Amino acid sequence: MIAKEKLVKIVGAANVSDKPAALDEYSSDISFVNPVRPTWVVKPKNTDAVQKLIKLANKTQTPLVPVSSGPPHFRGDTVPGIGGAVIVDLSGMKKIIFVDRARRVAMIEPGVTYGELIPAAAKEGIRINMPLLPRKTKTVVGSMLEREPVTMPKYQWDISDPLACIEVIFGNGNEFRTGQAAGPGTVKEQWAVGGIQKAPYGPGIASWHRLIQGSQGTMGIVTWASMRCELLPSLEEPFVVSSSDLDTLLDMTSWLIRLRMVNECFILNGTNMAAIFAKKWPKDYQAIKDTLPAWTLFYNLAGYEYYPEERISSYITDISQITRRLGVESVKSVGGVSANEILKAVQQPSPEPYWKLRYKGACEDVYLLTIHDKLESLIGEMNDLADKAGYPASDMGIYIQPIVQGTGYHCEFNLFYDPANSSESNRVKELSAAAVKGLMAKGAFFSRPYGENAGMILNRDAATIGVLNKLKGLFDPNNVMNPGKICF
Amino acid sequence: MGLEQYKGDMEMCCRCSACKFIPMQKVKGHQYAYVCPSISRYNFHAYSAGGRLNIGAAMLKDGMKYTDKLLDIVYNCQLCGACGVSCNYAMDMEVLEPINEFRIKCVEDKKTHPALDKIIANLKKQGSMIPGAKGKRGAWAAGLKIKDATKEKVDVLYHVGCLTSYDKNLQKLAKATAKILQKAGVNFGIAGDAEMCCGGRAYQMGYPKEFLNQAKKNMAMIKKAGVKTVVTSCADGYQAFKVLYDRFDLKGELKVLHISEYIDKLIRDGKLKPRRKVEMAATYHDPCRLGRLGEPWVHWEGKKIPGDRFVFDPPKPYRRGANGVYEPPRDVLKAIPGLKFTEMTRIKEYSWCCGAGGGVIESNPEFAKWTARERIEEAVSTGAEALVTACPWCEKIFNEAIKESGSSLKVYDIVELVEKAI
Amino acid sequence: MALKKDVYKEFESVVGEENICDDPAIMPAYYSNKFAAVILPGNTAEVQAVVKLCNKHKLVFRPICTGWSGMFPPDIILMDLRRMNHIIEINEKNMYAVVEPYVISSQLQAELFKRGLNFCIKGAGTNCTAMLRGHGHMDQTTSGDDRNHLAIEWVTPEGDIVRSGALGSSDEWFCGDGPGPSIRSILTSAVPPGVTPGVFTKAAVKLYHWPGPSEFPIAGHSPKYVLSEIPANMMARYYSFPSVEKMWQAEIGLGEAEVCYELMGFNAAMVAANITTCNEEDEAMFNRLNKEVQGPGFFVIIAGNSPADFAYKKKVLEKIVEEAGGKSLKTLEDPELEGIIMCQCIRISASIRETFRPGGAFNSIPIMGQRDLTIKWAIGAGEAKKPLIEKGLIVDDGGAFFGWGVEQGHLGKTEIFCKYSPSNPTAKAAVETWQREQNRRAFEERYFASTMGPQDEIGPALCNYSQWWSKVVKALDPNGVSPEGGSLV
Repeated sequence: MIAKEKLVKIVGAANVSDKPAALDEYSSDISFVNPVRPTWVVKPKNTDAVQKLIKLANKTQTPLVPVSSGPPHFRGDTVPGIGGAVIVDLSGMKKIIFVDRARRVAMIEPGVTYGELIPAAAKEGIRINMPLLPRKTKTVVGSMLEREPVTMPKYQWDISDPLACIEVIFGNGNEFRTGQAAGPGTVKEQWAVGGIQKAPYGPGIASWHRLIQGSQGTMGIVTWASMRCELLPSLEEPFVVSSSDLDTLLDMTSWLIRLRMVNECFILNGTNMAAIFAKKWPKDYQAIKDTLPAWTLFYNLAGYEYYPEERISSYITDISQITRRLGVESVKSVGGVSANEILKAVQQPSPEPYWKLRYKGACEDVYLLTIHDKLESLIGEMNDLADKAGYPASDMGIYIQPIVQGTGYHCEFNLFYDPANSSESNRVKELSAAAVKGLMAKGAFFSRPYGENAGMILNRDAATIGVLNKLKGLFDPNNVMNPGKICF
Repeated sequence: MGLEQYKGDMEMCCRCSACKFIPMQKVKGHQYAYVCPSISRYNFHAYSAGGRLNIGAAMLKDGMKYTDKLLDIVYNCQLCGACGVSCNYAMDMEVLEPINEFRIKCVEDKKTHPALDKIIANLKKQGSMIPGAKGKRGAWAAGLKIKDATKEKVDVLYHVGCLTSYDKNLQKLAKATAKILQKAGVNFGIAGDAEMCCGGRAYQMGYPKEFLNQAKKNMAMIKKAGVKTVVTSCADGYQAFKVLYDRFDLKGELKVLHISEYIDKLIRDGKLKPRRKVEMAATYHDPCRLGRLGEPWVHWEGKKIPGDRFVFDPPKPYRRGANGVYEPPRDVLKAIPGLKFTEMTRIKEYSWCCGAGGGVIESNPEFAKWTARERIEEAVSTGAEALVTACPWCEKIFNEAIKESGSSLKVYDIVELVEKAI
Repeated sequence: MALKKDVYKEFESVVGEENICDDPAIMPAYYSNKFAAVILPGNTAEVQAVVKLCNKHKLVFRPICTGWSGMFPPDIILMDLRRMNHIIEINEKNMYAVVEPYVISSQLQAELFKRGLNFCIKGAGTNCTAMLRGHGHMDQTTSGDDRNHLAIEWVTPEGDIVRSGALGSSDEWFCGDGPGPSIRSILTSAVPPGVTPGVFTKAAVKLYHWPGPSEFPIAGHSPKYVLSEIPANMMARYYSFPSVEKMWQAEIGLGEAEVCYELMGFNAAMVAANITTCNEEDEAMFNRLNKEVQGPGFFVIIAGNSPADFAYKKKVLEKIVEEAGGKSLKTLEDPELEGIIMCQCIRISASIRETFRPGGAFNSIPIMGQRDLTIKWAIGAGEAKKPLIEKGLIVDDGGAFFGWGVEQGHLGKTEIFCKYSPSNPTAKAAVETWQREQNRRAFEERYFASTMGPQDEIGPALCNYSQWWSKVVKALDPNGVSPEGGSLV
């Protein structure tokens, strides 16, 4: 076990804790992973401290578990996989290093949340492509590193977006900057000549940031990240389209994105519409669910500096041809929820309490990536599995997010449950495992394997695991970075 | 000068691979994008024009041993010129000339192909490209009351060509041509047994001396007969008379027309009226030496202007295929009542070769037929029942390929359809 | 060094007699070196078998596609992927296409146009493989660099078949990332590949909406193909500006306004090269355009998804250009030339006329990333070209550079050429010196570092990336059979 004074020397006494309450906070989360208590929680405040911690961990063979977001955690990735771990809590690294309107880019430390970045960016006239209603404590860097889907697929050119460059301390203690940030010179020297850290690829032919994304802290610790930002529109006009026929809405979605007419664009089922937009519980929740057709597509048209009204008006004309062909109608509100209200909501983090917890207090997410033609059958499969597990399918929230400019779909099943009810909790746990297994068998792709189901997911692709293990061996040769996660 | 004169051109090849494909704007999909039969069949880059130029440059630089493979590369090329068109879309450099010159060098170095040697030996002996041909050259015309241009004054000499004269299956083309010309009231004649090979195919095979020998003999005969216009029904003959004879300063003022051009003119002048319906969906194959290689020879002498740019004084006219004979045969076909005309993907200056050129039909008949089969498939893909060409060599190889493949596609020469229509 | 007979037979048993050759006659066509053999595998299984044999016999191999560029050590097994030329899938709903290495961009693009789709055509030209990583004319709309690949099928240097992302887990090509960290991090080189060791045997590329016609109405003969009409929803123009600053103002404005299908920062020399059919015409046109432009400029293509969309985009374009003091090049407003350059940029990707034709060869410094920064550097690099022009060592292009915005100006590409005669050693040496000096200036002044420069200096200045990459390569290729050798096209 690592000696306290060594940690204190690096981060200061105020930032080292082994108090049971503090340790307990990190020893489990809402997911079904087995609780494992860390031995220390440390809160570094800068890159130097992070690097020293990693070097120390290598010397002492101590597992490090990086955490940037605040609780509640949902995926088990911040719960130590093995005993003796030190939690490296980066939530105190909160600097917004810069926001650059001209180049549409911002750079922040890992502890910055959406709630903190949004106003800072807005002040300069830009914003970040956000995931759907992240919890208040969710950090921007954490979300980007998890390849969390974003609500404006039009601006997601690559699945790694909006992440641009990162500074990372690899598991072996070496510092590295990816993309344009790598050099020549320091970041400050680059600024001096007008350089900004935005181009994500390189240096060389590799795209190093892709190795860190999705690694759940198993390759190293990120100490800052830059991200591409989008302009704040000067005018916005959101719409909703509801239908009981998902395929029609998918068809419409794919054309809206293909023609790059819409900014925010996603589909929710009635349960999630209610879970997100109900104001008075449980009355509103049930009323919205009862009123809405099965599926609601939300999209937002935007204009910028030049003739925004004309731009939006031309889109409305063009979209009306699509809706006519498909026999649906774009409207301004549905089931008592207005499009403007949705827009306002999804441009901010979730209000408290977090929307996934509001209904029953806990939520297990099963999420996958797939293509247009498979999506409906996967949802059908999930409904069957829920039925078999005795979980009412009507209670299951579904969020469908087109990704990467329409090349695929993120489909998320939100299994709301009461954590105090052990039989319900067990049912959801079993359903979650059965769902991953059953959906994989039907062709679903689980690109982000977390917690209990990770092994099952990775076992399908031994060749990729072989390569990943080789890479892991290079960047974290002593396996100190979050051991027990993914396939490491 | 030989190959040496093309050293700069060969070194300029940047291996971009444009020579393998039809010009990029004309690519209509995954299929029918290739234009060079040799690279399409043999796959190693050496079989492409770029590869051939690289080999030529290496030969000049370091010298290369003549291996069987090298000769395989050299002789498995129809010299169809499609590579040059595609390259010269963007580049100012000679492509086909150095390839042909390399073959000439092989012959000079006695690295000949036995099948071609046999052909040339026969050419020297009998004045034709058809070894083993029996009977007299002008026998097909018996009873047709065609003037002998060597004895009677005619306005037009119809040069029949070796294959049409001797091949029993193709003599119908000569007869059809004669019938058309008679019907139009043209004062024409043939040289009959005195007709000699144009020599064009000898040049393609790498035997320039033998070509020149034939060319001189033909021009002497023409001069003696006082003929001002020659009409050929063979694309090789057309290119020999019109382009090669001119290139070697033998053509003089002689007017050279392909039969498709002449028929087109006769129709326009109202001397020929295709009235009978020929109900048929047909597509047209541009013979290489009527199309891209049939464009007139432009004599040029100039020098590179010293300095940065690759420019010449006066500007160098590259043969890019723009001025070949493309519209006349199409106009003739469109003038035939009932004929439904469709185009293939690879046409005009970027037409796919029939496979018979460059001596390949003799040196590697299987490759020639493979090339023909590719074209037949393309023709069939248009929905056409018939593939129309304007050269007996094309017709011969297409029919041989069809016989083996069992395709129901019919092959006609343009004169056969005109004959049906008048 | 020739292969031993029994080893040759082993390779031959994989690909068949027709598809292997060690005759010296075929070698110069590929490169100046002699290879142990050239092998033409026909599918992934054959590639895998060849790679395994290379490992067994410790033979070094390199794959190539169309074979335009690359460096090849002597005595290697050269794997020419020509026979792997199939379009595996075009998925319209999910906007991706899957191709083998020898499908050229022109083939794929023609198939896509029929479906109202397009993809990133790289600057190397549509005559090159559709799998190529890189940048091109339409990056404004179709992105560039490593950002268009989805799943990739990769035969590793040891002969394992790795199928990235969704392909490995669920047989789908739409996603190349995960599960977990993305191995796209190391599979992003030029194909087949150029620098990532091993062989890419299939790849999915992202597709984009194509608002133009399913086939351009082309008339005329090579080398002068013209459009019989400009599609009603498309327009091409060249604008010049009083200064680089004004040009940048308009370029970024247009990017942010999301109105251009293409925005290509051509200089007058490149416009001239593209619209002319030979060098003599090119020179005359350059002289004419040079007088007509007021300063640096760019070429744009506007394409509307509907009449209203087209009208809107045109209006915004005109407004932004006007605000920056831009002037349309009248010569290019001639519909014939407008059509020619529209097709050149979309269907040809220009390249050869503007690079190889004028002098026969060119050297270039390409930089991807931050456009405003690289423009700043390129102005100096352009000035440094002028003495070479004055001495007649390189083709006169006014000392200009070029480049364009990528992803509606989020990223960018800047490049500068020197075109010269390959048979003039003085010119070649002068150009190489210019290239070295300008790369050094970029490095010392902290603009960027060309990774083609001296690694002992550049590597450490870029977080020792080259050492990391060497480690990755060593881990993937323990037998050292798949060497680096520059990017391949």
